[in-house]
This record gives sequence, structure tokens and C-alpha cells, in this order.
Amino acid sequence: MTNTYIESFPAEAKVVRAAFYSSFLALAIGGLFGIIQTLHRTGYYRFMDSADYYTVLTAHGVLLAITFTIFFLVGVFTWATTTSLDRPVEDIRFTWAWYGLMVVGTVLTAIPIFAGFTDSEMSASVLFTFYAPLQGHPLFYFGLVLFVVGTWLAGVDWFRSWWAWKQEHPDKRIPLPTFMVLTTTLMWYIATLGVAAAILLFLLPWSLGLVESVNPLLTRTLFWFFGHPVVYFWLMPAYMMWYVMLPKISGGKLFSDPLARVVFVLFLILSVPTGIHHQYLDPGIAEGFKFIAMTNTMFLLLPSLLTAFTVVASMEHGARQRGGTGYLGWLKALPWRDPVFAGMALAGLMFAAAGFSGMINAGMNINYLVHNTFWVVGHFHLTVGTAVALTFMAVTYWFLPQVTGKALWNRSVALGQVVLWFVGMTFMSNAMHRGGLLGIPRRTAEPQYDGFEFEAAVGSVGELDAQIALGGALLTLSLVLFFANVVGTALNSRSDDLPANEYADTLSGPSDAPLVLDNLKLWTAIAIVLVIFAYSFPLLSIIERGGLFGPELTELPVHIGLGLEYLWATTISTVTTASETVVALGAEVNW
Amino acid sequence: MNIHTYEKLWLVAAMVLIVGFIATITYGSVGLGITMVGDQQDTVEPTELDDERFSDPRVAQVGENEYEAYVTAQMFSFQPDPIEVPEDSEVTFYVTSRDVIHSFSLVGTNVNTMVIPGEVAEMTVEFDEPDEYGVVCNEYCGPNHHNMEGMVYVVPEDEFDLTELDAEAPGEVETGDDIDVTATVENRLLDPIETTVTLEIGNETVSEDVTIDGGETDETTFTVDSAQLGEGDHEWTVTVDDHTDSWTVTVADELEDDDADDDADEESNENTDAGDDADDGENGTEDETDTDETESDASGGDGE
Amino acid sequence: MRISKGALLIVIAFIAPLIVELRTVLAWVNVELTVLESVVLGIGLIGVILVWALWPQSQSNGTESAETK
Repeated sequence: MTNTYIESFPAEAKVVRAAFYSSFLALAIGGLFGIIQTLHRTGYYRFMDSADYYTVLTAHGVLLAITFTIFFLVGVFTWATTTSLDRPVEDIRFTWAWYGLMVVGTVLTAIPIFAGFTDSEMSASVLFTFYAPLQGHPLFYFGLVLFVVGTWLAGVDWFRSWWAWKQEHPDKRIPLPTFMVLTTTLMWYIATLGVAAAILLFLLPWSLGLVESVNPLLTRTLFWFFGHPVVYFWLMPAYMMWYVMLPKISGGKLFSDPLARVVFVLFLILSVPTGIHHQYLDPGIAEGFKFIAMTNTMFLLLPSLLTAFTVVASMEHGARQRGGTGYLGWLKALPWRDPVFAGMALAGLMFAAAGFSGMINAGMNINYLVHNTFWVVGHFHLTVGTAVALTFMAVTYWFLPQVTGKALWNRSVALGQVVLWFVGMTFMSNAMHRGGLLGIPRRTAEPQYDGFEFEAAVGSVGELDAQIALGGALLTLSLVLFFANVVGTALNSRSDDLPANEYADTLSGPSDAPLVLDNLKLWTAIAIVLVIFAYSFPLLSIIERGGLFGPELTELPVHIGLGLEYLWATTISTVTTASETVVALGAEVNW
Repeated sequence: MNIHTYEKLWLVAAMVLIVGFIATITYGSVGLGITMVGDQQDTVEPTELDDERFSDPRVAQVGENEYEAYVTAQMFSFQPDPIEVPEDSEVTFYVTSRDVIHSFSLVGTNVNTMVIPGEVAEMTVEFDEPDEYGVVCNEYCGPNHHNMEGMVYVVPEDEFDLTELDAEAPGEVETGDDIDVTATVENRLLDPIETTVTLEIGNETVSEDVTIDGGETDETTFTVDSAQLGEGDHEWTVTVDDHTDSWTVTVADELEDDDADDDADEESNENTDAGDDADDGENGTEDETDTDETESDASGGDGE
Repeated sequence: MRISKGALLIVIAFIAPLIVELRTVLAWVNVELTVLESVVLGIGLIGVILVWALWPQSQSNGTESAETK
């Protein structure tokens, strides 16, 4: 008899496992597309038409940024509420229902995306941001709606657990993991209103032909209303792991429960009224609104800086418990051999670097230099691509035994995997950042132009390409090792010798945290007020300027033969010269 | 609430950092005058850009060293392309889209804006040195997004003009008749220019000095005796500074009526585009500018 | 071993960002490393670390006991 999660909550463990496997499937396909893009962009290996690159890119973005992350986090959040409240979900059928809805939503979204590879008229190569007037097939939008509704119901599930628990424990503080789940869920509810409005009021009716036109700036602004907080939706579960798992695995306790609550409250309040910082360079939005978004964004640094302190302090506490000494000598006493620890520590380290490039992005007028360049791609491969993804992969090595009851297939392979990810991402994101500073754009199949060349300040563009390809190859290898472990573990037989389902204690416990921190209604109200403050005037101004349904637009349904209609602008010869340039670039590489 | 001393220090340091960041950004805006693309411009109808600016995308002079560039972005090109401006100038770009969301981004500089249909992005840029900059669209705009590019040439003062040349002549004349070659030269600068209109035809070169006031158009007509040229095809070229326009005139003993009329019509129509190789048939107005002549060293990449 | 095998692996991995960023930093002071020089430097550094980690005593597992708790 062990005390694993599957022993305590066998029914819930099945749902969590299903959510994890769904997320891993998305990771596998998305990762495969990642290496395809890497080789295509850099020109090392192009086996498809460049127009198909954007279909690959759409799938890569949607599958990794939405499917992989969110499926994983609903698993983690279900684990967190059931474990920390020590009670099963209220109704397991309801839990399966929202999981099922998310699956259906994903499949419906994936169908038109993947149809983009075929000759069929259905397509949705509109990228993860689906900016109008580019138009995807209605199924694409409909699937996204179902997926988001699924996550809403998942939130209801966690709230139901908490309400039921509160009836039985009226005087107890909300356990920290549940507190984190609830604040994150509230933030998600507010954030998704934006994308729900964009899709249900405008994009879906438009793609169905019910309305003639949309206001591109309005739907874009509504997208970013959701698009920025969604990154915190990915990040919060990673933070939760750093707060409740990392201290335990380091061998100690969480430094401060109250500060952890403060951090999550700050994210609830500040995540949404910042989205306009993705639109610093949008015409039609006044500078003042951009300034407000910039200020809010800068204050969002605070919870992340607090997290850095708490996490490092907790690790040091753990190391000293294990016999570590000295100013920095304690670092040696940390359990580096443990892939769960090493992965999370390396992810945290890379997140620090991501924070720095994020500060550049957030700088309103500095943003001119990097906006929509490759720099931004480098940035979010450090945040969602490492801080989140690597943390998720690392904790998978702890979660898999918990939800399968089977021992991890191979710990050494797991350690190699997280280290490879770190090294691969170092190469790739460094080159992406530097490429962005040269002006190399993001989201392009062939960043090689006829009229000019990018000039590298250090090294050459060819070297940057080589570095990106090397990084991409290492990341792909890392993914292969990860899946080997997932499959290997699933094929193992049940083990009786597994760690118990526990999370970290705290040095400074919840009794130190003022009661007001647990007042979710108050924080939600403040969050809503801030959102109204930050968004009502910009939205009203956009609607006043461009109209609710915008100006007349050229019909541009991507799903009916856009490619042929607009090929007038280019000729085969430009494509040929571009690929010749690529060959030339490739030849210059002296790696 | 129990907060560790170190943690308090860290909190204070974090707040100082944040306030410091906001202060530097504010300084950039207020002190250095780096303004954001905003809502200064009224909205437009993307499908019918018929206002004075975008119906004829071009560079226009609006003051001493001050220029305005009206640019449209569409799948998968910019108009005008290339854009030519003089050194030491202050150029205000007005950029809008005819179809989807694009961007207008000068590679390696902080000249960068989203281009959203219905909205007009306004950006004022100072160009000091002669240079050349690539322009990319850095927002995905469709299957040929990667082929959407343009150029901005910053040329030396003395090589810069906003002269439009359009020369016309009959396609065919009868031996003995006069050939009238009419050169229409428009000076779109604010200041007058002094220049020379030159016609080369056969072995002959005739020229005339002209002074054209700012914003004015001058017509110069050269009359050539076809008998002197003799029977056959004769190429003629009109040159004003580095703008050229050329075509061929056929001198025949007897005009064949049917063909002659048709040909003449066609030729005089086409003839306006004759000297123009760089252009792919877009109706840009900088067409006549021979950009190859004005290229300076290709050291682009410095921040602006 | 001066440090555990796990820690050694992490330290070696950490050489990657160091070397990669070093090129950019050195360019600021007008020292331009080629890719080959960077690779050689990286391998050299890893060698030094390996020597440092393994040299003094290979018989005792002093610090490794901390890891197994």
C-alpha cells in the first residue's frame, strides 16, 4: 500500500491521466511541426511549399500554446484541488464531461487546420492569433469556443469542490494549492470574456456569412484582452509547481505562504488590463491607453520578482536541510540528480532570462525595435516554451507514477531530457533574440529577401540559422526522450514503492497571511474594476472610430482558394531566387 | 503579515526597479520625443482608398526638409516601392492597408508599425545620412507573406528630386513632316528647379534649359525634321537629370493608313511607361525615378 | 568527485549559455570570436570543469551522500 494519488483518488487519477496524455499528444505533433519550421525557415531542409508553412505554424501555435498547456494544467489543477482539499471531485461524470468537451473542441479546431494540407476547400491557416480579415473555416472558431467552455466547466468543478469543502470547514484557510487554482480560474474567466466576445459576436457570425464585415482593430483588441492573460494561465500552474513542489523536492519547505497568496492575487488583478501592450504599434489606439497598459505590465513584474525570491529562498532552505553550507556552497547540496528538481530549476533559470527580454518588450517605445521580430519568438520560447513546458515535463516525472501507480521508466534519461531541453533552448532562443535585433521578422516561411540582406552585428545570419537548427534538433531529441519515458512508464507494471502524494509545507504558514487575502470576491471585484478602467475607453474609442462591424473589407476567406487568387503579386521566379539565396546562405555556414 | 527582512528588502528593490523602468520609458516619450503610433488619423475605407493621399501613394514635400510619404500595403507589396527621400529630412509616413493586417517595418531600425485596414498609421522619422533600408511586412498576411518587401532609399540632397517626366511623340510620320517631341516635366518640390531637357534622336542632340517653379509643370516641345533622319525606325530619348523616357518613331515614305492609326494610338499610350524597368506595372508615381543611380553604400542596420 | 554527477552535468550544461552569450559580450569590447573558437573555448572550459571535479579524489563519494539523503 502506497500513498500515491491513484491510491487515494483512483477515479480522479484516470481523468488527470487522460488530460496529461491528451496534452502529450498535442506536444508530440506540435513538437514535430516545430522542427519542420526550424528547418524550413533556416533553409536547411524545405520539403513543402512555403504556403504550407503557415498551416504548420498555425497547428504548432494552437497545439502547443492552447492544447498542450491547458490540457496539462487542468490535470494539475484537478490534482491540486483534490489533494489539498483531501476530497474527491463532487461528481466524476461532470469531470469527464468537461474533459470530453475540451477534447471535442480540440478535434473540431484541428480538422480545418489540418485540412489546410489537403486540396479541400476547408482551411484555417490563420495562425494562433486569427487576426481578421484573415478568415478561418467556421469549425475552427466553433471548436475553440467548445474548448474554452470546457475549461470554464473545469473551473466550476474546482469551485464546487471548494464550496463543498468550505461547508465542512467553515473556519479553515483555503489550502494554498486550492487558493492558487481558484485565483487562476477567476483570472481565466475574466480573460476569456474577450475571446468569447471576439468569436461569438464577430468572427463566427462573419465566417458563417451572417454579418458582412468585422472591425479588424476591435477583434484584434478583444483577442489581446485574452491573449496576454492566457500566458498567465499557462504560467500559473508552473508557478504553483515552483511553490508547492520545488521546495519539497529540494528537501525543505516553502519560504512563505502569505507571499505566495499575494503573488497569485496580484496576477488575478493585473493579468488582464495589460493586453494592449501587444498593440503598442497599432494605429487607432491612443498613446495614453498604451501608457496605462505599459504601467500595469511593469507592475506585473512584481509578482514574478517575488516568486524568484521565494523560490530561491525555499531551495536554499531545502539545501541547508540536506547539509548544504556556505554562501553559494548550498547549491551543491541540491538534488541535481533528480530530473523533477533539475528540470524545474533550469526552467526557473531560463524564466529569469525571459523576464529580461520581456522587460524590453514591455518598454513601450523600445518595443518599436523588436515588435513582431524574431526577438519575440525567442522571448516566448523561453517563457511558454521553457518556463512552462520544461516545468511541465519535469513535474511529469513526478506525476506519472502518481497517476499510473507505475515507477518512472528511466530517471537518467529523464535527467538527460531536461538538460537537453535547456541546452537546445539556449542555442535556439539566443539566435532568435539576436536575429530579431537585426530586424528578421517572425512568422515568415522564408526570412530571405531579394532587395536587401540582414546584417549581423556579431557573426553572421548564417551562423544564427545554424544555431537555430542545432537548437531545434536538440529540442526534438529531448522530446523523443520525454516520450520514451512516458511510454516506457505506461508499459511498466504497477509498483508498490512510490513516493507519497504530498506537497510542500511552509515555513511561514497561512496563519501569517491576513484573512483578506482569501477574500476572492474582493479581488475579483478589484480585477473587474481595473479591467473596466483599462479597457472600456479603448474599446469605446475603437468602436466609435471604426464601427462595431468595421469598414467594408475585401472578402478574404482563407478557406476558399486564397492562394490562387492573390498569387498575382509574386511570381515563380521570386520564389526560385529566394530559395537560391537560401542555398547560398546555407553554404556560408562554417559551423 | 509576517514578512522576512530580506524579503522586504527584495520587495523594495523590485518596486524601485519597476518605477525606474516606467521612468525611463516616460523619459523616452517626453524627453526624447519618441511618440507612439496612435489615433491621430481618421479612419479610411480600405476597399476604396480614394482620398488625396492614398489614391496616389507617393512622397510629397510639405516644407523645408519636411516630407510626407503616403504608403499603402496590400497582399503582397508596398506602394510606392521604392520610396525615395533625401538626407537630413523629416519624413512623416502615413500607412494604411487595402486588405488584411500588415506591417511596415524598416529593417534594423525602430521605424515599425502595424498596418491595419481602416486605420492610418502615422510616424515621423528623421533620416540623417544617405542609406538604404529594406522594408518588410512582419505580420502574417497570407500565403505569400514572405515575399512582401520593399525598399527605402535615403539619397544625397543633390540627387533628390520629385520630378516627373513624361515625353510623347507620334509613332509614325511621313518623310518630310516634322516630328514634335513633347516633354512634360512636373516639379513636385516646393522650390524651383533649374534643369535641362535633352532630346536625343538619331545622331542629333538638342537641349533646352528650363526653370520650373515648385509644384509647376513645364512643357517643352522639340521639333525635328523627319527628312533629315531619313526613312526607318529612330529611337529617341528625352532626359531630365536622371529621368529618361524613350520610344521609337518610324519615318516612312507613305503611311499605311489602317496600321498607322492603330500603332500610333497604342504607342503613344504605352509610351509613358517606356523608360521604366524597375516597376512591375504598379501605378506608383515614383516610377520614373531611376533608383539604381541613387544607391549609396549599403551599410544599413544602424538604429535610426 | 567534488560534486555529485547530477550537479556536474548541470554545470556542464550551463556552459552552453555562457559561451553563447560570451560571443555577444566580447563583441562589445571588439573581440570577435569565430564559431570554431567558441566551440574550442567551450570544450576547454568543460575540460577544466571535469578536471576540477574529478582530480583530487575519485575514491570518496563525500558529497554524493547528501543527494541520496
